[in-house]
Amino acid sequence: MIIFDQLKRNDSQLQLLTIMLCASLAVLFAGLWWVQIVNKGRYQESLEIQSSRSVRLPAVRGKILDRNGAVLADNRPSYNINLYLEDLSGAFKKEYTRARPRRVVTNDLPFWKDWLGFTTVSTQFTKLKDGQAQTIARDSRYRVANGVVSQVADVLKAPLTLDYTNFSRHYETRLSLPYPVVSNISSLHLARFAEESFNSRGLELEVQPRRVYPFGPTAAHVLGYLRKDDSSAEGEEAFFWYRMPDYRGMVGIEGGFDQQLRGRAGAKSVQVNNLGYRQNENIWSPVEPGQNVVLTLDLKIQQAAEASIRKLPVPNAHAAVVVMEVESGDLLAVASSPSADPNNFIKGFTKPELERWHDDKVGVQKNRATGEQYQAGSIFKTIVALAALENGLNPQEIYRVAANPANPNKGVIYVGKQKFNDTAPPGDYDLRRALLRSSNAYFITNGLRPGVFERVVELSQRLHLGERIGLPLMQEAAGHFPSAKRIHANWTAGSTANICIGQGEMDVTPLQMAVMTSALANGGKVLWPRLVDRRESSDLAGLEPPTIYEKGRIRDNLGVSQRSLKLLREAMLAETEDLEGTGNNVLGTGFRVCGKTGTAERTEQGEKKNTTWFISFAPYEKPRFAVVVMVENGKSGGGTCAPIAKDVYLALKNFDKLAGAIPLTAAAQ
Amino acid sequence: MNPIAINENAPRLDRLQLAALVGLMGVGVAFVFSATMVNEAAASLPFIKQLWFRQIVWYSVGVGAAVALCLVDYHTLARWSFVAYWGTIFLLAAVPIFGTMRGGARRWFDLGFFSLQPSEFAKLAFILAMAHFLSRPLDELRAPMNFWKALGLLALPFVLVMKEPDLGSALVFIPSGFAMMLVAGVPRRYLFRLIGIVGVMASLILVDVLFAPPSWQIKLEEYQRQRLLVYFGQDFAPPNATPKQKAEARRLQQEKSYQAKQALISVGSGGFTGKGWRQGNQTAGGFLPPGAAHTDFIFSVIAEEKGFVGSVTVLTLYAVVLFTGLRIAGQARDRLGKVLAAGVVTLLFSHVFINIGMNIRLMPVTGIPLPLLSYGGSSVIGSLIAIGLLQNVHIYRRGY
Repeated sequence: MIIFDQLKRNDSQLQLLTIMLCASLAVLFAGLWWVQIVNKGRYQESLEIQSSRSVRLPAVRGKILDRNGAVLADNRPSYNINLYLEDLSGAFKKEYTRARPRRVVTNDLPFWKDWLGFTTVSTQFTKLKDGQAQTIARDSRYRVANGVVSQVADVLKAPLTLDYTNFSRHYETRLSLPYPVVSNISSLHLARFAEESFNSRGLELEVQPRRVYPFGPTAAHVLGYLRKDDSSAEGEEAFFWYRMPDYRGMVGIEGGFDQQLRGRAGAKSVQVNNLGYRQNENIWSPVEPGQNVVLTLDLKIQQAAEASIRKLPVPNAHAAVVVMEVESGDLLAVASSPSADPNNFIKGFTKPELERWHDDKVGVQKNRATGEQYQAGSIFKTIVALAALENGLNPQEIYRVAANPANPNKGVIYVGKQKFNDTAPPGDYDLRRALLRSSNAYFITNGLRPGVFERVVELSQRLHLGERIGLPLMQEAAGHFPSAKRIHANWTAGSTANICIGQGEMDVTPLQMAVMTSALANGGKVLWPRLVDRRESSDLAGLEPPTIYEKGRIRDNLGVSQRSLKLLREAMLAETEDLEGTGNNVLGTGFRVCGKTGTAERTEQGEKKNTTWFISFAPYEKPRFAVVVMVENGKSGGGTCAPIAKDVYLALKNFDKLAGAIPLTAAAQ
Repeated sequence: MNPIAINENAPRLDRLQLAALVGLMGVGVAFVFSATMVNEAAASLPFIKQLWFRQIVWYSVGVGAAVALCLVDYHTLARWSFVAYWGTIFLLAAVPIFGTMRGGARRWFDLGFFSLQPSEFAKLAFILAMAHFLSRPLDELRAPMNFWKALGLLALPFVLVMKEPDLGSALVFIPSGFAMMLVAGVPRRYLFRLIGIVGVMASLILVDVLFAPPSWQIKLEEYQRQRLLVYFGQDFAPPNATPKQKAEARRLQQEKSYQAKQALISVGSGGFTGKGWRQGNQTAGGFLPPGAAHTDFIFSVIAEEKGFVGSVTVLTLYAVVLFTGLRIAGQARDRLGKVLAAGVVTLLFSHVFINIGMNIRLMPVTGIPLPLLSYGGSSVIGSLIAIGLLQNVHIYRRGY
């Protein structure tokens, strides 16, 4: 070894030099080891931080479809024109140099330079003050970019301007991302742009999916809406340098199935150079598109229900319709009025639309079918009738209703000192007549008989009144029904009497009433209503099997005899078919409909308000559909709600014809 | 010229050293290419304007000069050394007047096709002159007068280069001069005294720059002071500065420590095997300053792209050149040859140590090239001439 050759020599000076050389080389070796091996991770991290920018890429949101494949929430391509700033960096620099102030100076040259013929006059850049250079640079960048934008404007024949502040901010904070010159351009502009080749000037066309609700406000409450939100979902990379615009579902299916619809955002990293311009990029985590959600709703039925509500004489009527298949629990329509167009959240609200959205009196945000609770009124008499029958009531037994001294045409009943007015006339009532004339006196009297109210409470518990059903809508009220504990403390006969006519300490939602009506129709099965049929991969070649939600899941059973149900069904049929019945307005659909009307009165801030109901199922012979209609401040259940139910039944007549036929995605409205 | 009578068995050239030299030149071309061909603008330049090609030209010129030098016995060269010495002193004195300004320093003569950096050649002339001066009989070396003369020989170019200002290049004179005095046999007590004085001076200057109040500080160039502050991790702002001044100082500090930081990131992120030739992000992304990546910071490029393996390979190649150089010193015919060889070896090694040291933050950033690898005509030609001198001592070890 050459090193040891030196050391063996008898030359102390050279030996010393050799040793020093060895020692110094060892120092360098150790230093390199320390930097490149021991601390490698630290420096690689620094490199990563300074040279790469992670960008969150939202996935394409899944669609929402109805049971026949009509698309209720869709994605349409939106074309944006982007400006890639790194392609302009050369032009920025050139313009800056051009724009820098210069001055002509006359130098006092040393004699020899003068003698050698150097010129004494030269042009120099003037020295810039603090911040002046930045201003000139910012202005020249704007001029260059503005030039490109006005070229685009010429080609598109559209007035386009480049906002100075916006552009400067983008340059300073998001340099490695392209600058969006114009987004969501029309097809005419798209064609004009595509004809020109702009790529050399840093312009590129970008396609982004854009959420569209083709049917506007139809089923808006069920669909929900989106808000801009680009935060990371759970289990996703949390830190991103930049995030591309993304949306989050707020309520409805968009909210309840947000995670599934959203899919999984991907990520790319953009390599930047020392000035922050983009060098290249690579996607390190691909996006996984969201799943499609197929609802049990039938668009035609839903539209029929909503159209019928719109026929009410008041604008923005507060009303709800729930249509449910009585055997499967499938919800065919869940309508709530008034509703607002969820497209507003994507394309922006107009001022009156925004005011309407926030107006509490209009209350477009409330889902009245599932999220609001109301007094049930007389429709609850069906349950009282069932309880009385189960308790041994003879349906033919006659009860005589006394006349109201204040209003001799109407009946009355006193419970203790409390007076209950009746809307039905005084006279003799059996169960059938009491139900179709909706006699308060009859049901209060029978409700107060020993053992009946306990059964009412039991049936209500089996119907799970006062409990949420758990639809994935994020807008569901539980309603209210007194618990067994409640009725043993400070409970009066008056309280019982109130419950027997569907008032007092109970509230229900139209959805709960649809479940109740279905139970009356299907022989006592209390079903889980089903709104979502399945979730499936939006990718046609997706290998993932769809998640199918089970039909006809039974939650509970009423546990009443078929005889009692049959008696009740006949009385409900009479309600619509008997001349004296309050629900005649539903006639003429071709279905034999069993129904019950109801009006619950309440006083709100001194103002008398009521809730009118019509619950029904059809056909009588073999019930298939339950239709529940609720209108706030209607005239009466029979007068206001039954005609809406009729329209729904008319639509339901074509239900089987529609099934399986996939309608074209109709143009909005 | 005497025809050389040599032992037929002894090789005329030190082949091992030449092999290492060829290796280093290969690495040099490859990484100058990698460091400069980062964008289309550079790649689209005509062939002869590309720097890797020019580097080959400098290598050729340097090898030619070295071969020419080897034709003349180093004794003859030594006799003419003072002419070269005073010639370069003259050039160094002329640089501040006629030189071109680049990056705040006047170090170059612009000859149109070539920028001559006289300090590169002054180093060689100094070594030759110093060797000649020290090769006098040992008795004379013991005379204090000669010791002081030797120091004067060292101080003159040192001060002139320092004035350019080029602190880094100036500093390499000291170890070279010191090593030559040591090998020549200057009494140890003088050398210890010298070390003591230099050490005390250096520490006084450092303490003064780093800690003394402004009015007490000696006048260093501002950028030199800043580099020292950066290296020792000191705050730029004086302790009584206003917040605005402090913010300004912090910004300045970041700017000034930028090169050192980026070099360290390059070297460190290379890891064990590196990212591959021309795959370094630091170079392509312009984080290593584009003007410095192929010159003073070429080692960062190598270390990033070839990792620890690459840096140790480079270190090994240098070690081969240096130890064969020492072997040449040991085998030299006389004291002149030995001192000359020791001086050249120390000069080369000082460059290697300071340059690699500044890439890994062992040393403050100074504009010192890495011999043979950094792009630059003066440096490459100077280094090759230096190795030519070594080979010269080797060739003529059995002369006469």
